[in-house]
Amino acid sequence: MDLLAAVFLAPIANMASNPEFVLEVVIGGLLAGVMYSLVALGFVLIYKASGVFNFAQGTMVLFAALTFVGLIERGVPIWGAFVIAAAVMVLLAVVVERLMLRPLVNQEQIILFMGTIGLAFFLDGFGQLVWGADVHPLDIGIPKAPLIIGGVLVNEFDLVAAAVAASLVAALALFFQRTPIGRALRAVADDHQAAQSVGIPLRSIWVIVWSVAGVVGLVAGIMWGSNLGVQFSISLVALKALPVLMLGGFTSVPGAIVGGLIVGVGEKLAEVFWGSAFGGAIEDWFAYALALVFLLFRPQGLFGERIIERV
Amino acid sequence: MTASAPDTFPKLLLEHARLRPDRPANREKDYGIWQSWTWAEVAAEVEALAGGLSAMGFRRGDKLAIIGDNRPRLYWAIAATQALGGVPVPIYQDSIADEMAFVLDHAEVRFAVAEDQEQADKLLAIKERCPLLETVIFSDPRGMRHYDQLFLHGYASVQERGREFAHDDRGFFAREIAKGRGSDIAIILYTSGTTGRPKGVVLTFDNIISTGQNALVFEGLTNREEVLAYLPMAWIGEHIFSYAQAYCAGFCASCPESGATVMSDLRELGPSYFFAPPRIFENILTQVMIRMEDAGWVKRKLFHYFLGVAKRVGLPILDRQRVPFADRVLYWLGNGLVYGPLKNTLGLSRVRVAYTAGEAIGPDLFTFYRSLGINLKQLYGMTESSVFLCIQKDGEVKPDTVGRPIKDVEIRVAQDGEVLFKSPGAFQGYYRNSEATAETKQSDGWVHTGDSGFFDGDGQLKIIDRAKDVGRLERGSLFAPKYIENKLKFFAWIKEAIVFGDGRPFVAAFLNIDLEAVGDWAERRNLAYASYQELAAQTAVYDLLQGCVERVNRDLAAEPAVATSQIRRFLILHKELDADDGELTRTRKVRRRIIAARYQPLVDALYSDQPAGRIETEITFEDGRKGRLRAELGIRDVPTSLPMVEPVAFKKAS
Amino acid sequence: MKRIGEPILTVDAISLAFGGITALSGISLEIRRHEILAMIGPNGAGKTSMLNVINGFYYPQAGTITWKGETRRHMRPYQAAAQGIARTFQNVALFKGMTTLDNIMTGRLLLMRRNFLWQAIHFGPARQEELAHRTNVERIIDFLEIQAIRKIPVGRLPYGLQKRVELGRALAMEPELLLLDEPMAGMNVEEKEDMCRFILDINEEFGTTIALIEHDMGVVMDISDRVAVLDYGRKIADGPPAEVRISPEVIAAYLGQQADPHPPGDGMGGG
Repeated sequence: MDLLAAVFLAPIANMASNPEFVLEVVIGGLLAGVMYSLVALGFVLIYKASGVFNFAQGTMVLFAALTFVGLIERGVPIWGAFVIAAAVMVLLAVVVERLMLRPLVNQEQIILFMGTIGLAFFLDGFGQLVWGADVHPLDIGIPKAPLIIGGVLVNEFDLVAAAVAASLVAALALFFQRTPIGRALRAVADDHQAAQSVGIPLRSIWVIVWSVAGVVGLVAGIMWGSNLGVQFSISLVALKALPVLMLGGFTSVPGAIVGGLIVGVGEKLAEVFWGSAFGGAIEDWFAYALALVFLLFRPQGLFGERIIERV
Repeated sequence: MTASAPDTFPKLLLEHARLRPDRPANREKDYGIWQSWTWAEVAAEVEALAGGLSAMGFRRGDKLAIIGDNRPRLYWAIAATQALGGVPVPIYQDSIADEMAFVLDHAEVRFAVAEDQEQADKLLAIKERCPLLETVIFSDPRGMRHYDQLFLHGYASVQERGREFAHDDRGFFAREIAKGRGSDIAIILYTSGTTGRPKGVVLTFDNIISTGQNALVFEGLTNREEVLAYLPMAWIGEHIFSYAQAYCAGFCASCPESGATVMSDLRELGPSYFFAPPRIFENILTQVMIRMEDAGWVKRKLFHYFLGVAKRVGLPILDRQRVPFADRVLYWLGNGLVYGPLKNTLGLSRVRVAYTAGEAIGPDLFTFYRSLGINLKQLYGMTESSVFLCIQKDGEVKPDTVGRPIKDVEIRVAQDGEVLFKSPGAFQGYYRNSEATAETKQSDGWVHTGDSGFFDGDGQLKIIDRAKDVGRLERGSLFAPKYIENKLKFFAWIKEAIVFGDGRPFVAAFLNIDLEAVGDWAERRNLAYASYQELAAQTAVYDLLQGCVERVNRDLAAEPAVATSQIRRFLILHKELDADDGELTRTRKVRRRIIAARYQPLVDALYSDQPAGRIETEITFEDGRKGRLRAELGIRDVPTSLPMVEPVAFKKAS
Repeated sequence: MKRIGEPILTVDAISLAFGGITALSGISLEIRRHEILAMIGPNGAGKTSMLNVINGFYYPQAGTITWKGETRRHMRPYQAAAQGIARTFQNVALFKGMTTLDNIMTGRLLLMRRNFLWQAIHFGPARQEELAHRTNVERIIDFLEIQAIRKIPVGRLPYGLQKRVELGRALAMEPELLLLDEPMAGMNVEEKEDMCRFILDINEEFGTTIALIEHDMGVVMDISDRVAVLDYGRKIADGPPAEVRISPEVIAAYLGQQADPHPPGDGMGGG
């Protein structure tokens, strides 16, 4: 009886008595969700264009952030570090295409998946070898002062991060919908053979999507790192992206964004209002529970292409 | 040109080119973009074509046939022909070669303008049979490269010749146009008669311009209207809306990209003046409903809720009557959320005047559009009257009338119920068919419409049937089968209806249920059925249809002219009427006589006092095999309503 | 009348095997400029494999391909597309989520002057160019009479229309050689007639060389200038339709496969 009350009554009463606080939690959740969205976006891009589930996405975020922070620690100015780190991610994309995708083309999906696991371990080790295994604090000058907007407490840093993420998403959407190369990317995502028959070079497309995913990862890594410091745990963010993908669908860009926001808000609310009922640390598994429930009712995700087999 | 108002279309064209040279006159969607031509440009195009035709030997009085989909170039061919004192003869583009040969031959056509290879091929196929046909001009050169016949010319090359011709004789075009008189023949339109050969209706400029002008004034239409020219060019309605009235008022007529894109072109264009036969309005509604069924539930709920609001208050608002403030707010909200977006996707958001005519329109369908705020109205007219005889006035619109006679039109109903008219738009006669002319047009100017009708209490004309189908009940009162059948068919449950009564003591009916609608209805009530025959025989289904019949009877009772035609007995046929069995035409019109003969025992049963009828019929299965179907069908007696003594008072009370 | 010219593509002694299965064994074939060549043969005869070799999807183990005077061991898909070879597929390979318009626009990708990366970062001049390509695509849409489905995602179209869109995408590449893999499969009579007309018009109006695979003998006899017959990875006949039709080897091949007493004329090769 007590447990039931703790799960169903107390949190609701708590929420009702303190609407401003709920709003703060929701906003905090949205801002955290933006990060999940960015990482999930990297997954979706690569999955759509090359059919590969990139296990290394999280490590790529870490690797990009490490490179960035390492360069800054060696006295490179912020913008220079960003450009160089982005270039490194493009280079990584070229290498991945050469050494992994090209030899494994036309293999089973599971083989490619294994390839990305290998890539994850390699990047992890290589990154620590080059830049060391310590926690690197990162400050790129975004103010972290709390702000009060309309009676609601908001972290200024979170606002900036959200704005950056939003503009990145907008730029990507424009890129995909409005440019010929975006059209080529969509074409490849739809049908490899047909894309080849109109002369779309698959390999260049792979390099481009892996580069884009790398740069998106870089941005995510910088934002995350500025908040918590650049450290190994960043790569675990990828684990949060998984439920986001289940929610949003593996092939949908808007799905990745909305899914990220839902997970962000959901787990913050759960932690704050239900945490005590379950003895805390709800945040770690809540997203998975949510995704599982979702899988039962809508296996293709919120925005995923409906699974229709046509004859 | 004289100082008086222009009395021919070419004169109107010149006037618009002078008064509003930069306003659009025609548009056509081509290569995905709306291309447009201003009045000045159209005048130049028409001049070039006229010059070319003249150089090729076209003389005053020559006929020029026009065959194809709605294209600006084909409309210009009409104007060019009229400018040279010739007579355009548009031909239905889906005519088979035989029908085309008849018209070409009968109208003594010397020149023809074909839209494309398809039409040109038809002309080539019949050229031998039409010795008078000398020259064929094609508009779209695609696929025509290997045609080497000397009488074939590209539209552009004819215009090129025309420009050279004009170079030598600058005043030619204006001079030729000035020779035209309002009393000259403007056009010959062949009507596809249901029986016998088509007849060529001869109309003068005076006929068309005076009628078109009167209707423009009646509706307050201006040179800013937009119309979509999408119905066959050989049909008088299309000619009036997209050519005659466009030239009278100076508004723009736009041609769709192709027959298949009409709906999306309509949406992009958003016409302000629109005509469509009832079946098109029906198709649009069906599409909307299907799409709503696929929509999410929030959207669907909103949609149905606000449609309900529209049904309740939409009509009074459109007719500018007093409506409670709260309803007004709701309707306004609905307009923002549902009606507006809906009208927008249908391309009807800018419509000021929309007409439907040609056949009866279901009252639900009609009020659906009106309740959304679309000013849909009915009119009455025909080729022989240059269209407009009656139009419904704003604020006096009813689903089952066609309005009052417009200015200068006189209508009277003869003893036998046939509608006759006198109008400045009345045709000159049928081309080379004085016999048919004499039958239709009396020497005193009255023209027989062949329609049966009467004026209702408000002085609006009501058309009930073709005069030849109208009979008499045993006691001599009027019996108009189609009028009653249409009323029955407006119910979704009833797919076909055949009523009997000519020479009989009362009216009785065969009904066909709509398998889809009634099947759905039955499923929701858990009524089991295995076949059409089983469903049709259910008592519950009989009850359902009896309700419909009783409502029709109440309607009929309210109209003195047909109050005695109430249905006393009906039965539901055990099989669907089928074109394969010869019971329907291919266009799904019932073949009354064949059905009566075939189901004679059932007709007899209806007029006996038996509670059921027996029948054995031969049917054709889908694979072509024949079989016999035996059935015993129940017959229902239906209570009739008392004829209303004062129909006018009844209307006020409701 | 059109003039059939010198060979534009020559495949010489091509052999192709997958594992132990031989798909093509020592086939030589010419495709001449401006002609319509039909490849026929029972299922599994190697017709589609031949197309895949020509446009670079398969690399043959032996033999050479000579395209416009240049001899190679094999083509690559990108190379084939860039040098004017376009194709359609037996089972329609369209970008299902994209509209008709976007699908056909992909056919223009290689003709866009500015390279990929430039387009990715620059909007101005690329816009201008996009417009020019759009005009071109609109002409194809007009030519194939598919205006009404311009903005509809192709996944929602009926099969016959999808085939037409696929043809449009190939045409947008302005190919010199058009490879059509069973362009009329699964169509009704009316759709087949339309497709025949389009193929003939493309051949006549643009002078495009066409190699097609087709099972409907009536169609093959009507529209092709030359017929090559393949059987078990070999070419057993090659010549004008009228000659091939009565060739004893061809009749034998079909008889052997189907035990059908009728000479090739109607419905052979199905199954």
